[in-house]
Amino acid sequence: MFVPEIQLSLNSVDKTYYGKKIEAAVRAVKNLSLQISKGEIVALLGSSGCGKTSTLRMIAGFEDVTGGTIQLSNRDIHQLPPAKRNVAMAFEGYSLYPPLTVRDNIAFALKAERISRSESDAKVMEMAKFLEIEEILDKYPSSISAGQQQRASLARALVRKADLYLLDEPMGQLEPQLRSVLRVRLKQYLQEHQMTTVLVTHDQTEANALADRIAVMEDGELQQFESPTQLKHRPANIYVGTFIGEPPMNTFAAEVKPIGKGFQFQLEEAGEILDYQNVDFPKSLRDQLIKHRRIVLGLRPHAVKLGKGALKAQVISNQWLGDQSHIAAEFANRIVVAVSHQREAFKLDENVPFHLEASDIHFFNAENGNAIAHGLEI
Amino acid sequence: MATLQVDRITKKFKTDVVLDEVSFEAEEGETLVIFGPSGSGKTVLLRVIAGVYEPEEGKVVLQGHDMTDVAPEHRDVGMAFQNFALFPHFSARENIASPLTALGKSDSQIEEQVLSIAKLLKIEHVLEHFPRALSNGQKQRTALARALVAAPKTVLLDDPLRNVDAKLRFEMRLELPRLLRRFGSTVLYVTQDYREAMALADRIAVLVGGKIAQFDTPESIYLRPSSIEVAKLFGEPAINILRGQVNDEANRVSVNQNQFILPKGFHNNAGSICDIGIRPESIRLFREKRAGTISLEVITITPLNERSVVLLRSQEGLELLATYPAEEKTAKIGDPFWGMVVPEDLLLFEIESGQRCLPKQN
Repeated sequence: MFVPEIQLSLNSVDKTYYGKKIEAAVRAVKNLSLQISKGEIVALLGSSGCGKTSTLRMIAGFEDVTGGTIQLSNRDIHQLPPAKRNVAMAFEGYSLYPPLTVRDNIAFALKAERISRSESDAKVMEMAKFLEIEEILDKYPSSISAGQQQRASLARALVRKADLYLLDEPMGQLEPQLRSVLRVRLKQYLQEHQMTTVLVTHDQTEANALADRIAVMEDGELQQFESPTQLKHRPANIYVGTFIGEPPMNTFAAEVKPIGKGFQFQLEEAGEILDYQNVDFPKSLRDQLIKHRRIVLGLRPHAVKLGKGALKAQVISNQWLGDQSHIAAEFANRIVVAVSHQREAFKLDENVPFHLEASDIHFFNAENGNAIAHGLEI
Repeated sequence: MATLQVDRITKKFKTDVVLDEVSFEAEEGETLVIFGPSGSGKTVLLRVIAGVYEPEEGKVVLQGHDMTDVAPEHRDVGMAFQNFALFPHFSARENIASPLTALGKSDSQIEEQVLSIAKLLKIEHVLEHFPRALSNGQKQRTALARALVAAPKTVLLDDPLRNVDAKLRFEMRLELPRLLRRFGSTVLYVTQDYREAMALADRIAVLVGGKIAQFDTPESIYLRPSSIEVAKLFGEPAINILRGQVNDEANRVSVNQNQFILPKGFHNNAGSICDIGIRPESIRLFREKRAGTISLEVITITPLNERSVVLLRSQEGLELLATYPAEEKTAKIGDPFWGMVVPEDLLLFEIESGQRCLPKQN
């Protein structure tokens, strides 16, 4: 629960890395503007090279901004050195001090706060329990594993009182099981203490689990900045639509052709046709689709309903993962992935009927990838 | 006769016992996954099978022959590792050709086989590139092509999808079984990702602390784990483990004041204190009270791809993680629910040993 008071503001931030030649300049972040509220958890998400790490480093003060400004708690920080920004961070290169034990590394972060020794000890202990590193508190950084080092770094960042917390792939070194558990705890902790947090990750599962809002970036540009639910249900473009969600969204390029009292989506390269009646869609949406003519249909795996329907696909794999099944089948010259929440008996090479609900389809403009409509809503 | 046998392999580094009497076998054409947490000895095991490390005890038998005195290059084994390990000064084509060159094949044969596998793995358009110009996905496929090109009887894959981005990893998880089946080789595949293990394996050898904790089909391991340790390694979010007491009639188990229905067959455990395992997907949530349910309140909700994860707490302080299909329900923090566990899905574990209690049919 957060108070809608702006804590961190990025205004038209630009970052260009200059090489020896003018042509070698790389524009890593392009005109980025974000407003983050107090107590909000925001994830910067994208594949490598998208600009998310450059952005985090500019907020921290490890990189200059080439253009634009950054405000934290209503003061300009983009020209201040890192130590003067009141920002706590857990970054990959920002490791623990080798000559101090893990305990002392974490406690060091509290030295600037005027609290008693016993209070400091208690905070360190609470943090260690929460991140499951009590056993290594009295060890030195050189003798603990990468995963333990990462948790100790995280403890050091979170234990402080700061205006902002910056986390760079905070759980990248941890095993899947531990990550799962710590994610839930981390989210609870950040929410309970109302800590404004910006984290960088390439893992959309992590971003979805932790963030109140996710800023999806690609090629230095902000694609969409909304809640995980919004990104999932109303992706702004094909990039966001296929990046968010695992298994990824199925996409089909199609041409829209009005036919009599209905219209068809003729799937490219496939000879497959999806027929719809005019009444299946609201007129405004129909008009939009016919106007664009060349579109891309997006279908999330759970929207591919196997078992009955007019369409047919040939099963190429049926993998049961304990709590869900992932079934891949060939349809319209490509692989379609469906998810089911139970075990399915489909055999390899079996021809399986399936259907789709119009309300589950995401429509994108084939020219620029932008969303036209989600389900029956524009 | 099993085409691959690992017989009581023990491997030590100084005084550290990294592999402790590891035994399992694989049939021809089987994909056997070696799965376990980091540090469990998976890579060392693969290297022993490859012949790169010599075990202190035990033997490796391939196609009926004891490999103890056989050098790696004569074991008819293809390998691919997680750091790709491509020769930086060879093009992709030359990398893939290297096992064939080593076997003394003719130029035209090599050309044909390399092109054939490159097409299969969709990398024929980058064959002339050097590793530094290849993307991670292309490097991974090149390494895989190199491992498979000589159609070896045994293929060893050490976490080949680890350094590959999520989307490509998912695609490969779907394509790999089909690809490997075409070659008919016996495949040993190492991974830390339980989903990858379940998706790819005919059988899984679960390696924990250098020992085989369970060796069975994915289904058996998931539904009937041999121990708490194995149970915790499979499933996301991890299985809920609670300490409880079985009642005298052995039909209920209590955790504090909350009760869960026990399936039949546990009369041997009547009255005992046990650890109970409840998988998040085994919890059924209802908006209204029903027989056998306990009252729960929603504490946090987290989306997890196609499912939603909800942390619930009972009035008595019992906390449970449950999941349900994301398209069902819209729960909010503070919502009340009535929850129960499907009795057949409840797992019981002994406290001392961590071993699963087996229900007895009488």
